[in-house]
Amino acid sequence: MQVLGSNGSGKTTLLRIICGLNDSYEGDILWRGIPVTAQRETFLAALLYIGHRVGVNRILTPRENLRWSASLHTPVDDLRIEAALARVGLKAFEDVPCRNLSAGQNQRVSLARLLISPATLWILDEPFTTLDVYGVRELELLLAEHIAGGGSALVTTHHRLNVPCAVERLNLDGVEQPL
Amino acid sequence: MWLWFSKLGSPRWFYELSGKWLPWLYAAMALLLLVGLTWALLFVPEDYQQGHTIRIMYVHVPVASISLACFPLMAIAGAITLVWKMKLADMVAKCVAPIGLWFTGLALATGAIWGEPIWGTWWAWDARLTSMLIQFFLFVGVIALRSAIESPDAAAKACAVLAIVGAINVPIIKYSVEWWNTLHQPASNFSMESTAPNPPEIWVPLVIMIVAVYLLFVISLLLRTRNEILTRERRSQWVTDLIARSQV
Amino acid sequence: MSIAPSPEVSTWGAFVATLRRDLLVAFKRRNDLLNPIMFFLIVVTLFPLGVSPDPLELTRISAGVVWVSALLASMLSLDNLYRADYEDGSLEQLLLSPQPLFFLVLAKNIAHWLISGLPVVVLSPLLAYMLYLPEEAYWTLVLTLLIGTPVLSLFGSIGVALTVGLGSRGLILAVIVLPLTMPVLIIGAKAVTDVMFGLPVGSHFALLGAMLAVALSIAPLASAAALRISVN
Repeated sequence: MQVLGSNGSGKTTLLRIICGLNDSYEGDILWRGIPVTAQRETFLAALLYIGHRVGVNRILTPRENLRWSASLHTPVDDLRIEAALARVGLKAFEDVPCRNLSAGQNQRVSLARLLISPATLWILDEPFTTLDVYGVRELELLLAEHIAGGGSALVTTHHRLNVPCAVERLNLDGVEQPL
Repeated sequence: MWLWFSKLGSPRWFYELSGKWLPWLYAAMALLLLVGLTWALLFVPEDYQQGHTIRIMYVHVPVASISLACFPLMAIAGAITLVWKMKLADMVAKCVAPIGLWFTGLALATGAIWGEPIWGTWWAWDARLTSMLIQFFLFVGVIALRSAIESPDAAAKACAVLAIVGAINVPIIKYSVEWWNTLHQPASNFSMESTAPNPPEIWVPLVIMIVAVYLLFVISLLLRTRNEILTRERRSQWVTDLIARSQV
Repeated sequence: MSIAPSPEVSTWGAFVATLRRDLLVAFKRRNDLLNPIMFFLIVVTLFPLGVSPDPLELTRISAGVVWVSALLASMLSLDNLYRADYEDGSLEQLLLSPQPLFFLVLAKNIAHWLISGLPVVVLSPLLAYMLYLPEEAYWTLVLTLLIGTPVLSLFGSIGVALTVGLGSRGLILAVIVLPLTMPVLIIGAKAVTDVMFGLPVGSHFALLGAMLAVALSIAPLASAAALRISVN
């Protein structure tokens, strides 16, 4: 599902509310028919969120960052981390401190999280902003694989998603804009 | 019970009800304050040790006892804010903080005024004064936090957490300060309890003053809360109506 | 859910990983690591300069000086506790972990203590010597700091968690946290002074221990709640 909307229309807020990072909302959020507040742990175990701030520590290396991220959910071994980093194009950058990497590369570090996580629901806030053309292709591929494997994804972006599956669009402006 | 509780949470209901109470509270406070102050200042016999100085007790004790009640009150209001997200509770928590600060400050000031003739100094690191001073700092912290956070919602919750943590700390502070102080300088440990077995002409005006100052506290809390209600609900229909009516 | 590891194992895993991560970050910034210790050293130095170099006078205030300096050093190092994580988004990841936040916060607090509290404890005998603290009080000083400084980290964490989202924080952190830490200072410094006078200090340690127990059980809870509010 793609969330659209002009700047300030509340895309980020919506995603943060769904994750439970923001509690100023009214109504219920259901996950598999049950309110998330009643099954917080189950929901969080199934969720992977990447926000504007990508959650990559700038002093640590990509490998160390991923090791920690994984341990918060499901620990994985180093081989999988290396494979994930290679997949997002960071081979040979595994042990470089993240502050020496570009913004796009840091974004890729956070995207590598998608590969090592068993989460079924991905919530990605503007994941394409700093990526180059290849990065965008790669992420679209990742999304397609994830959906094909039975997962779901909630993505905010202004760009037209090029994925080989049905994309539901939610426009927060209420009017359909040409993409 | 639940209905009553949710009704209490409605700022509008609270505003209207408190509006009906206020005249009675004013009257009761004025009467008690008049009686209490006249009695305490003019008719209470001089203390055989402290002379006229004892009269400051009739201000100091009520003020101090209220300032001690403010922190728990703020913490309870904070807990209600966190658990039930009741807006009125946060308004009370917000309004009680500056009042608590004021009363704590007054207790410190009257304590100093009392201390000067008794101990020969405006300030002594006496257990009560010291723990009062720390409580003063705690209030300052809560108020500073409230004003530092822009979003009212986040400020409400953050202050609630701090108030609860502070309220847990207040007895610890009190206990540790007393423990520290009695070992340091037991001489200055001037005890307030000594007034208890005194004859009625000493403690009856004290009780009257305590009730009067409590009323003063309740009134200032109500007035502040009513202001807060109007400010926060200024966009709602009933406040607009209220303003329209008052301008006619 | 396809993969659901037993929760106990991974809670411990997340705890250890968070602890290790924070220590790793600290050791990669060695200069920052030295700052609290240097600050501690400098503050202690101020007292002989400001009060008097007279050994008798210094002996009398030594316990208090070391304790106050430890308190200030702990306060100053607090800022790093959640700041970087808040700015780079790691804090959101922490909050969205299915593991209980209590233990993750506790791990961060323990890391903070190991970085800023423990060095102060280790260094304290040297400063005690420079301030002419009587020899029989050394162990009491070290032990009270050992029990007391974790309480400072735990209470401090609440204050940082409450203020981490603020643009300009200035001194608000100190205003919030310092009053909360006063009981620890009172008892810690008093224990050392009492030992100097040959008084028994068993009850002092019991009180400090009780404070540590209360802080361990309540403070991470309050910090966790405060972090949720700040990230909101």
